[in-house]
Amino acid sequence: MENHPLKRRDVLKLLAVGGAVIGGLQYARLASASEPVGNSKHKWVMVIDQAKCIGCGYCTMACRAHNDVAPEISWNKVIQVGKIGEKQVFLSRPCMQCEHAPCVEVCMVKASYRRADGIIMMDYDRCIGCRYCEIACPYNARAFNWKPFTGPNPAVPTWGSPEVPRRPRGVVEKCTFCYHRIDRGLSLGLTPGVDEDATPACVVACPVQARAFGDINDPESVVSKLLAQYSSYRLREDLGTMPHVYYLPAREEKTA
Amino acid sequence: MKRLKKPIKINITTFHLWLAGLAAVMGAGAVAGVIVFARGLVVTNLTDLVPWGLWITIDLSSIAMSAGAFLLCAAVYILGLKRYQSLARTATYIGLIGYSMAVLTLMLDIGRPDRFWHALVYWNPHSLLWEVTMCVTLYLTVLLIETAPIFGEMEWMQTRFPAIAKRLTGLHKLAPYLAIVGLCLSMLHQSSLGAAYGILKARPILYRPDLSVLFMVSAMAGGPSLTVLVSMIANRLTKRAPVNDELLEKLTHYIGWVLVGYLYFRVWDALAMTYTYQPGKTEGLNMLTKGPLSFNFWVGEILLGTIVPIFFLLNKRLRLNPILRMVALGLVVGGVVAYRWDVNMAGQLLMLTYLPQQIVPRYTTYMPSLIEFLAGAGVVAYGIFAITLGVRYLNIVNHNTITHEPEPVPEVATLPVTVE
Repeated sequence: MENHPLKRRDVLKLLAVGGAVIGGLQYARLASASEPVGNSKHKWVMVIDQAKCIGCGYCTMACRAHNDVAPEISWNKVIQVGKIGEKQVFLSRPCMQCEHAPCVEVCMVKASYRRADGIIMMDYDRCIGCRYCEIACPYNARAFNWKPFTGPNPAVPTWGSPEVPRRPRGVVEKCTFCYHRIDRGLSLGLTPGVDEDATPACVVACPVQARAFGDINDPESVVSKLLAQYSSYRLREDLGTMPHVYYLPAREEKTA
Repeated sequence: MKRLKKPIKINITTFHLWLAGLAAVMGAGAVAGVIVFARGLVVTNLTDLVPWGLWITIDLSSIAMSAGAFLLCAAVYILGLKRYQSLARTATYIGLIGYSMAVLTLMLDIGRPDRFWHALVYWNPHSLLWEVTMCVTLYLTVLLIETAPIFGEMEWMQTRFPAIAKRLTGLHKLAPYLAIVGLCLSMLHQSSLGAAYGILKARPILYRPDLSVLFMVSAMAGGPSLTVLVSMIANRLTKRAPVNDELLEKLTHYIGWVLVGYLYFRVWDALAMTYTYQPGKTEGLNMLTKGPLSFNFWVGEILLGTIVPIFFLLNKRLRLNPILRMVALGLVVGGVVAYRWDVNMAGQLLMLTYLPQQIVPRYTTYMPSLIEFLAGAGVVAYGIFAITLGVRYLNIVNHNTITHEPEPVPEVATLPVTVE
């Protein structure tokens, strides 16, 4: 041992063990990379019609109230995106709930995970606040709680009342398609997208019905029909994230 | 009045002043750290667009500066270059301190430091940061075992706790195995830090596989540079740090060649981005070469960080001049830090919008807050403080006392395995 600190055989043994470990991890990686948690026959999709959107921001406010979001954070952001003729066009941006979500792939503690119905969830009790998901998200859909949100929520009660617990300081948060409304609604036998109590708050709040919500696996749902009837697009499709939020582009005349 | 004749010996030396100065910076850093924990990250200038800033740069840089440890241990125990054993000792100690600095900055940086252990318990092996966490944890353990003999050989330990000291020193037997494990973990770690940025589709300038290679190669230059620099500075300041200049000179020659390789990769990497216009990527490169990061890039990284040290380190006459050599090594260290800063910033100061038909770059700015500077300076001061104490009390720079006399590699070990 002293004379020959390292024998060739020892090196080979170590390499074999190392190889086995890496192989095992690779197996674990393949198994966990894109597999959704649980199983579901639904796949929730949101369709936002830019021809109808008037940029009022009701969606943002309703979201803030129902999800108890701090005033400086917008889970759903409304952005001005140029004009068609005289008409200002807006883009309302919730979380895209990507099929291949970069945030889920990079989260080291699996605080971000994908449910089988397509919703990207956040486990606020598990998040350590490293903010890697913020850097990874191409849509800036994530917000970090830089400071604690204390005191009353100015959006409450005008825009609704909180249905989920407030997040603590130091974790990342984002839109969850109001999963709590969907889950509760389904358990009561309601249909998300049809019954208001089972539909995301932003969809319900929209005064011009620019938003539609529903199950894309159901050909009779509102969203399936809209997507079959009109041409649609998704944001940054070049990235291959496959968002579950579809946009109907602004047109000269309102048709949808 | 005998006592007065022999007063308490408070002989304030430059050494004490140096330690006091460092302690003051550490104290300021500790206060800043307490403020961060009490008030949260709102005291930083980080935003949702630039969520990683100065602290991440310090974290990445201290990991890079620890790379001397795995390189020199591999040289000694795997390549059999036993004459470098005393340098491996210095490098391993610096590695331990560097990794502990990284852990300190990470604790500052995460939003929920109370949940740091989640990273070890809840695994997502698909995440690069998971890999980074595992490497930090495992390699820090390796470094602790590798440096255990250094603590075991400490005079105070040997007189006060001879049994423990013997145990610690005995861990030296594991060194060859640890060298292999350390080599694997360390290379994984250095490259996965680059990959942590390289996989980010949302950040066009970063989205390329080259970052892993560049992170590793730059660490292979920066790590040993700091090891040699610390050895040389310690040697000039105290008699406790005798060095074999021939060894240091040889190692710096090696660093010079690594820098040539690094420059090649860096230039190739940059040129490969310029061929056609690519939204975001081209603007990102422009930001480096002409924009807000250009001084850092051209002067910090390329000229002072790479080209000048290449000349100083590859030319034997210049290399033999200790002052020039130390300047060059310091420049290499600075260049690697500048590189880490540029990668982190270039990726975040620019991002593509997600608007349809309007995929345009969007710029933002970031300047660390005072609290960030103070806490960061505190961590760096801690590192320098620990290395100073190491030189003073742990003999980390001492090329005279090689506890295990170097032996030539037995010829049989170099022969290929024959099947009998």
